[in-house]
Amino acid sequence: MAAKRLKEVGEVGFLVKFGSFIALCILLIPVFIVVLTGLNSGDHLTFPPEGFSTRWIVAFFQSEEFLSAFLFSFGLALIVMVISTILGTMAAIFITRFKFPGINILRAIFLSPLILPGIVLGLALYVFYISSGWGLARTYLGMIIAHVLVTMPYVIGTVSASLFNFDVNLEQAARSLGASPLTAFRKVTLPNISNGVMAGSVFAFIVSFGQFDVSLFMSTPNNTPLPIALYWSLRYTFEPTAAAAGIFAICLVILSMLITSRLVNLKKFSGVKFS
Amino acid sequence: MNFKKIYISYRPIFLVLPTFIFFLVFFIIPVASLFIIAFDKPVTGVLALQGEWTLKSFLRIWNRSLYFDAAVMSLTLAALVSIITLIIGYPLAYLIAKTENVARNTFLMILVLCAMQLDMVIRLFGLMVLLGDNGVINGALMYFDIIEKPIGLMYNKLGVVIGLVQFSLPFMILSLIGIIRGISPSVVEASRSLGASPNKTFWNIILPLSMPGILAGTLLVFAISISSYLVPALMGGWKVMMMPLHVYQQVAEMGKWQFGSAIAVVLFLTSLLSVLIYQKTAIRIAGGRA
Repeated sequence: MAAKRLKEVGEVGFLVKFGSFIALCILLIPVFIVVLTGLNSGDHLTFPPEGFSTRWIVAFFQSEEFLSAFLFSFGLALIVMVISTILGTMAAIFITRFKFPGINILRAIFLSPLILPGIVLGLALYVFYISSGWGLARTYLGMIIAHVLVTMPYVIGTVSASLFNFDVNLEQAARSLGASPLTAFRKVTLPNISNGVMAGSVFAFIVSFGQFDVSLFMSTPNNTPLPIALYWSLRYTFEPTAAAAGIFAICLVILSMLITSRLVNLKKFSGVKFS
Repeated sequence: MNFKKIYISYRPIFLVLPTFIFFLVFFIIPVASLFIIAFDKPVTGVLALQGEWTLKSFLRIWNRSLYFDAAVMSLTLAALVSIITLIIGYPLAYLIAKTENVARNTFLMILVLCAMQLDMVIRLFGLMVLLGDNGVINGALMYFDIIEKPIGLMYNKLGVVIGLVQFSLPFMILSLIGIIRGISPSVVEASRSLGASPNKTFWNIILPLSMPGILAGTLLVFAISISSYLVPALMGGWKVMMMPLHVYQQVAEMGKWQFGSAIAVVLFLTSLLSVLIYQKTAIRIAGGRA
């Protein structure tokens, strides 16, 4: 009897399943529509669909506009990922390991690009780039700096989480056995937090790749990331070529989330960390 | 010897120094200068500091109905979106929290995270093809003769709300999962064994215990909804004016740097306020669980 009740508690009712289904539809149907539009044979997606073809995929590979924007975003995301991972990992080690006065303020500052509205950060940087006179406005370097700012919190958050789970005694054991601080870190700590570091870098890549708000004030015809190119085309027309570009972006996101799920326990990816 | 000791104990600073300098130069100073410009005398087309402190830009937001209405519209729609997202997001968060099977749990989490991480412009492309006048829904309804001419599902407030719900749903779900998972099964079991129906148990036990997550989730969704430029720009077709649209328009199209900065400052402070309350609740949750 009690066992039966216990089982009941763990089970979810019909309403929960139905509600979950609705939520999943809202989350995923737009994504499916993009895939259907990109693989559709007509000039635009109609009801009922006309049939499948790869003509828009081919058009994407021949399109100056979208292919170059895709490659631009990919290259930008790679550079941003490397810088963010290195700086973010170092900062995460510092703020989790060492007790310094004001360390909580420091942590809050490092995580705050997440809460600052993207358009406000974009404008603040744009204003600063122009008035500082360093020639950063509407340049590639200016864009990299903006993206590093918005991706760094993801690296710091993920690496800090894996550092919290790491037993510091292991590193101290290595130290007491005669290893130098750097060797102890490299040989003992780093292998243990490497999953967190890699997951953080995957997040940095994908956040930079999909970044729109802070890029808005930074882009020029020569510096156009994929989201900005898609936005300008979407303001006037629904181009299936844009949807074909979207299919490749969707594949990248799915791939990066599959990698992340292998690296870290997704169960912990809830609540405060994404704030 | 003494010198060496000091040298070693201060060396960790070098780990954080590059990031700190980076944030100081490219984050703290730019955001501070945005505040300074917002309080500077507004001169169209000129960004350079005038050096005359004034509240003119802020008074203009308050007095001109165009901008005041945009602020009210932003707050109203964001509040509405928070409530809708909560109702839609709760069941899925509950399902994920209660799914013990590791593979199924990971699968559901990947679906939510993919939906969240995918470029918002691409998700909006899908929504617009779905909701447009020649879109899939209107097309299907006309095909089956349910309606004669397209019903306006976007380029209006409805479209903006649908877009913002799609945008913020993953954030709501992720805020709720941890809290729901933390509810002790024995409390639920006790309620059931004392004769309460599953329905009653949900309303009297589970829902009140999820309250911290509900509060945190709605505030987070509120903060990201008022900050979105993309959703009102595309789903509202520039007919539903929210604050981020004015920020861009004033600066990029009209060269009104000071006024645009003032709107940005108001937007920033509104979102900061809701996030501060959010963090207060989040810390209380973390403290309660420890």
